[in-house]
Amino acid sequence: MDVTMAMFAAKRLLMALATVLVVAVLAFLLVHAMPGSPGAVSLGAGASQEAIDDVNQRLGWNDPLALQFFRWLGEAVQGNFGTSLIDGRSVSADLASRLPVTASLAAGATVLSAILGIGLGVTAAVRGGLLDRIIGGFVGLLVALPAFWIGIIFVYLFAVQSSVFPATGYVPFEVSPQDWALSLALPVITLAVGGAAFIARQTRASMLEALQQEHIRTLRATATPTWKILYVHALRYASLPIVAGIALQFIGLFGGSVIAEQLFAMPGLGQAVQSSVSTHDAPAVQGVVVIATVVVVAVNLLLELATKFLDPKLRAS
Amino acid sequence: MIPSITPTATPRKTALAKFSGHRLLTSPGGLAGAVWLAALVAASLTAPWWLPYKTEDQDFTAVLSGPSAAHWLGADELGRDLLSRIFASAAGTLGTSLITVIVGVGLGTILAMTAAASDRAEGIISRVTEIMMSLPGTVIILAVIGAVGTNIPLIMAILGILISAGIYRVMLGQAKSLQSQLYVDAAKVDGVGTLGISVRHVLPGLMNTVVVQSALIFAVGMLIQAGLAFIGFGPPIPQPSWGGMIQSASQHVYDAPWLMVPSGAVLALTVLSANAIGNALGKSPNAAASHLPSAAIRRKRAADAAAAAAAAPAVENAPAAGQLSVRGLSVGVDGGTPLVTDVTFDVAPGTVLGLVGESGCGKTMTAVSLLGLLPSGVSVTGGQILWNGKNLASATEKDLEGIRGRDIALISQEPMRALDPMFTVGYQLTAAIRRLRKAGKAEARAAALSLLEKVGIVDAQRILKSYPHQISGGMAQRVAIALALSGKPRLLVADEPTTALDVTVQAEILSLLRSLVKDTGMSVVMVTHDLGVVADICDNVAVMYAGQVVEGGRTASILDNPRHPYTLALLAADPHANTAHDMPERLATIKGQVPQPKDWPAGCRFAARCQFAGSACAVPVPLLPSGSEDGEVRCVKADELAVEGLGWLATEVPTHRVLEIVEKDMA
Ligand code: SF4
Repeated sequence: MDVTMAMFAAKRLLMALATVLVVAVLAFLLVHAMPGSPGAVSLGAGASQEAIDDVNQRLGWNDPLALQFFRWLGEAVQGNFGTSLIDGRSVSADLASRLPVTASLAAGATVLSAILGIGLGVTAAVRGGLLDRIIGGFVGLLVALPAFWIGIIFVYLFAVQSSVFPATGYVPFEVSPQDWALSLALPVITLAVGGAAFIARQTRASMLEALQQEHIRTLRATATPTWKILYVHALRYASLPIVAGIALQFIGLFGGSVIAEQLFAMPGLGQAVQSSVSTHDAPAVQGVVVIATVVVVAVNLLLELATKFLDPKLRAS
Repeated sequence: MIPSITPTATPRKTALAKFSGHRLLTSPGGLAGAVWLAALVAASLTAPWWLPYKTEDQDFTAVLSGPSAAHWLGADELGRDLLSRIFASAAGTLGTSLITVIVGVGLGTILAMTAAASDRAEGIISRVTEIMMSLPGTVIILAVIGAVGTNIPLIMAILGILISAGIYRVMLGQAKSLQSQLYVDAAKVDGVGTLGISVRHVLPGLMNTVVVQSALIFAVGMLIQAGLAFIGFGPPIPQPSWGGMIQSASQHVYDAPWLMVPSGAVLALTVLSANAIGNALGKSPNAAASHLPSAAIRRKRAADAAAAAAAAPAVENAPAAGQLSVRGLSVGVDGGTPLVTDVTFDVAPGTVLGLVGESGCGKTMTAVSLLGLLPSGVSVTGGQILWNGKNLASATEKDLEGIRGRDIALISQEPMRALDPMFTVGYQLTAAIRRLRKAGKAEARAAALSLLEKVGIVDAQRILKSYPHQISGGMAQRVAIALALSGKPRLLVADEPTTALDVTVQAEILSLLRSLVKDTGMSVVMVTHDLGVVADICDNVAVMYAGQVVEGGRTASILDNPRHPYTLALLAADPHANTAHDMPERLATIKGQVPQPKDWPAGCRFAARCQFAGSACAVPVPLLPSGSEDGEVRCVKADELAVEGLGWLATEVPTHRVLEIVEKDMA
């Protein structure tokens, strides 16, 4: 780690902080634009106007927006996102229990789609011919099928027709690692299908581009065995865009987990967004948006540092 | 998902002419996609007149039924006709997805054009879009839904804004290259404002990418919209939507799995169609050729080589060891265009042969074919390359692997690109030495050091640890030469080894090559367009024009006594081959360009540019002994010209050419 790398990391870190701050402001404004005041939401229909006003007063709803924002930010940096308007529970505690679910889902799906995608993409680029066209057609089809549709078909095939996997629900790792893995299997595969197709395309294109580089000819001119040209030199050259593609994919999969969680009844962040948006639970929406952003930005930052580390031009200057 | 883009910018075409619609028509997938989308839109817009049921009609006898005469695609849990609901909601789905396209692609394009026009704007926009791209988009869209409700058009517009960051990233490079085109500079001088340039010159060039991205984003929009409807944020309840239909079908996957099929299939088909259109339009027409053909191509080549070896006569009067004999070599694009025809030459051990000519004459193709390293899609179509009793033109890949590096080595024009940027010089060099000399690790490292010293590198230790981007071009060419020498080859193929280098470095590299030839006794095939290089280092010359050798022989006799008009013209046009009193203004040029292979005439291929062309030149011209030593020339008038002592006449030199020459001289 030399100066360039450290500077690069510092710049990225600053950008990441800025991103989270921007999202925090955005989320705050959006939540304020939601129909219904906190009092009306938490007391439900039929509450008297006085009672509603009373709750709003207590929550500081009528204070200037900037004051409310900084009050919220002050609490948020200490990890406190307030309490849910619906059930009065701590938003932070709720999210803390949900984060592992979504994280397992997104991480599992990213790893699986990277393995499948790189395998398919490299095969298509290296083998060429008919196999390339078959993989291309298959990948094109997978990109066009919505994840939720694929998920339902998986449920039908593996849970209804043959009960290999549980159709829905989540078993925490602490309870039973084996059941945890089984409960994750279908949602992870569902999410990974689209991701794998995306990464396969990226990998194929990057490998083909790598093979067009002139240094490949030099390697052949010095009698380098084909396997070494492909899997040491070309893949190494292609690894930069592939890793960048995987980073992008993680963001997509993290968002995609909303659908997978709904489909497979997984108590994750996605489900929290969906339900808190439906019920206009302002603190919950705000908390989950910020947490999701922090996670995505952090993982993205790591993957990007990894990408840069792969590039000798940035690593050793 | 991001298609490759080839900017093809020619100034005076309308935006419509740029849009390569014909590619859509020639791609079966794209055409099918376009037909399906058009049919869907038409069917949906006319739905009220032909649909058998209203979307809310309930037929209680058909609840959860499969396809039947009454309900072609079956009916849902309330007995509503699926066909009617799918088609009635198509227009809405497609229309709202179009909002995402217009906002996303429109905003992305505007941002890209703005950024291309000013560096400051680029800095800001790139920063902002980078932030946008690292956001969990779905979560944010849901938060927006919380604030504005399920107002689909508005949500799709906001989705478009989020997507525009990605579009910007795709378009920026192309917009910048268009902006920097010469004609844009010219327009600036003419007083056209920034906006005018963007709209009149940059936008038309971006048109194809805009259409491609629109198709792809259209597909994304439909998928996301369906996903939102699936989790309950679709159009208000009785109104049908594709995602909503899949959602309600998913409730009945246990008792009526069929319900999943119609809505899912229509959605998938529509997304596939949009993607197919995008891919058909986005296909880059001539992607660069691969330097390592795919396994499928290699298999085919191996079969061809085996067939050719079986069919070809045994090598007769094989040349001596270390002697290269090329006989009637032809190279062509697979399935058509010839690039090199009937090329014959010999290279004796310890001698240097120059292949000279303008670019596009087939010199490089001839040279790399000697190692069997033609790019994919190009192959030897005839003739023999005889080396050590083998015909390399029909050798298998395995045979060639035994010859490359060990017998015949290659150095190329751009040393920086010839070295792998991902590995250190030391790694590349020692790997080659270990492979080619079967040396151990320590031995290879010592050999690498001595090789680097041999090619004139002083601080070899440091260079070994460096990556290619950390060393200069001249240094990189020395490394490339060391790499080529690592297998102690007897023939070195050098493809314009000095062209990309500074003038002083050029001279150093040439003298290095000369001393290597003297010390090691290896022979060299030197591709060059520079007659100065030829005079400097080559024993023999083959002048190539349009895929043929037009004159060959000993360097001295050809430079002193050129016989072919093309050689005369080359000499007259080369400032360095001329004596000092020749002013650039009076320098001769060769009008016109080397013809494309498809335009090669049946007669003399130089005829269109030749000052001496006549009716006798319209028939195929053979390569005949020129009479001076062992020289050969391909010109019907060669003798006549020699007798009359005619030279190439100097013509007006266009100004840009004078500038070019002056610059070259000052460099
Ligand atoms: S054959 Fe005719 S056209 Fe060709 S080089 Fe000779 S004189 Fe010129």
